[in-house]
Amino acid sequence: MPKYDKMAYASADEMIFGTAKNPVKYGRDFTVGGGYVYPELVPHPRPGTEATKKTLVKEYEKMVTDVLDRCVAIGIPGIQVELEHVYQMTRNPDWGGEIAAATKHLQEEYFKKYGLKSAIRATIADYRKPDEEDIRNCSALDATLKTFETSASGGADNLSIESVGGKEISDYAIVRQDIRGTLFGIGVLGSKDMEFMWKRVVDIAAKYGATPGGDTNCAQANVAMFMAGGYQDRSVPHTFAALARAIAGARSLVAYEQGAKGPSKDCGYEDVIVKAITGNPIAMEGKTCACAHSDLLGNLVAACCDLWSNEAVEYHDMFGGTSVAVFTEILGYDVALMNTAIEAGQAKMLRDLFVQSDKYRDTHGFILCPENAYEIGKAIINNNTSYYARARAAAIKSGELMLGDSKLQMSAFEKESLQSAMRTLESLPDKEEDFISECTDIYKKLIPGFTLANYGL
Amino acid sequence: MATVANYSNIFVRYDLIGAGEAKGVKVSSKDASIQKVLQCVLDGDSDNIAAAVNAALADKDPMTIINEGLIKGMNEVSRLWDEGEYYLPQAMVASDAMLQGLDICEVKLGKALEKKGTVITHTAEGDIHDLGQKIVNALLRANGFEVVDLGKDVPVDDVVAAVKKHKPALVTGTALMTTTMTAFERISNRLLKDGFETPFVCGGGAVSQEYVTGYKLGVYGKDASQAPGMASDAVNGLNWGQLREKWNN
Repeated sequence: MPKYDKMAYASADEMIFGTAKNPVKYGRDFTVGGGYVYPELVPHPRPGTEATKKTLVKEYEKMVTDVLDRCVAIGIPGIQVELEHVYQMTRNPDWGGEIAAATKHLQEEYFKKYGLKSAIRATIADYRKPDEEDIRNCSALDATLKTFETSASGGADNLSIESVGGKEISDYAIVRQDIRGTLFGIGVLGSKDMEFMWKRVVDIAAKYGATPGGDTNCAQANVAMFMAGGYQDRSVPHTFAALARAIAGARSLVAYEQGAKGPSKDCGYEDVIVKAITGNPIAMEGKTCACAHSDLLGNLVAACCDLWSNEAVEYHDMFGGTSVAVFTEILGYDVALMNTAIEAGQAKMLRDLFVQSDKYRDTHGFILCPENAYEIGKAIINNNTSYYARARAAAIKSGELMLGDSKLQMSAFEKESLQSAMRTLESLPDKEEDFISECTDIYKKLIPGFTLANYGL
Repeated sequence: MATVANYSNIFVRYDLIGAGEAKGVKVSSKDASIQKVLQCVLDGDSDNIAAAVNAALADKDPMTIINEGLIKGMNEVSRLWDEGEYYLPQAMVASDAMLQGLDICEVKLGKALEKKGTVITHTAEGDIHDLGQKIVNALLRANGFEVVDLGKDVPVDDVVAAVKKHKPALVTGTALMTTTMTAFERISNRLLKDGFETPFVCGGGAVSQEYVTGYKLGVYGKDASQAPGMASDAVNGLNWGQLREKWNN
């Protein structure tokens, strides 16, 4: 059940990069949201290195060494490294554990020698198949939970995941521009699966003294955003992707209601909404994740970040060094600018410049600028009678905001898509149980393997 | 708060250039019952397609409804999507409606319509991100191909076994991550070893043309919308090298 019923901030203007109401301290003298921004570097192993534990551990040792060396080379005060699990690292829990341990060993060496502050996030893979198995009792879940344990005992400070509950519905719905199915898949089923998963993650974190970080809606809202793509793409309307993102804000909140502390994970673009409600620190990615994917809010998304990330970069040589070193440097200078602004008393000016770069570039940036994210957050907490009610309220508020600002230009197709979705949202039942009943009737026929039992319903 | 009066040197909304010039649907039928079927496909109206098809079947033969209503409608949807007037969702719901109508017509015919050819699709071993594959399945089916859908996280052995069993014109593989796409080269090597040269179209999030064209049989699939065209070429006899020459240059 929803728990948050008030905002952490009195206004959007209070929200700023580098500072969270509830900072988190872990790792080697590493505080997130305590006044300054740090980079979060996500190295990705080359294809083929996942063939054996030995080759993968070696790959990570090389990558992490390059990251830490570059920090020292240009004077970056601290860094978080994310071990974003390839499937093999979770399927084989000892691999994930050994890589966490190897990373910690390296970070401890650099901390001892240089005082380089650092931390490790382990993002465990979720490869459950909601349309094929009992996702509350399957070998994939067992491997995921076991790997949380091995990663924490190996030395990961922050435990995170991108859980996939509700994906079987949202995959079907997003490519059909079906807002009801999207709301059901993300807002209801996604939330219920988050509740199930995060009770367990929080318990494991407590057992090992690790911090339960956060869970992004990569499997659903990011799918919509990636499919919406750039200006030339005609896969999913951008207005639709923005609605999915607002719904994701309500869904990703569930981790914190179960005891997660943040910092949340980088690809959770919805997390500015979450920060407005929880006051927990957030990792964000934008222009510096162009190595992994494009987006239309590359500057704006830094406005309230506490960690600034590159999403994932595959390990290769570049003219300026290896790719992981290069992106460490790029992130390092970005956060140096943000921290300079903080020290110079100009943080809000820089924040506003970030926002103005992208607020009207696209619907995603528009709804995620602090001012609008805050309003969506208020809609969530003011409608917290159920996961459904608050997710629906988030979608409706974001639609109202998009339609209500004449400076946000839309093509006729995009506007009609949004208006059609709003008509559907307004027509939906008020009560969660009625909505679930309606959706069950529809989607059981359309999606083979969909079962309510997977969500405790 | 910092404000900006002029955004034109910050970003240009290229998506709005030519956005107001939609030309609309260009096909219709003089026959009222066929027109209803056609319209259901154009609108992606799965709720009413059955009624429209059944009404048309009252006095029309199924092949006329299929050709003049269902296929004609789907071809128009494809054209509108190519020209940017429809988005992918309109194509998907149109294919849903079209395939529903086709099922009804095939029951009346007493047999399945002969398919243009068989395509096996799968998502790579260790990878559960199968949305791209699902889109490919829908587009292939709507364009008259028989699809053998192996699902997601499919072991290499199962893909090879399926090719041996079904002898398809084409195999497709989808992978989101670089660390799962490595299964594709193993599939290619196994197929070649067993005497198969089936073109193997591979695509997905992190999959690159450079990687896919690095092994025999591999043809890079940049976009799901290319699948029907590639399948047609394969059925018409283009081998993997020729497909690569056509689609990857």
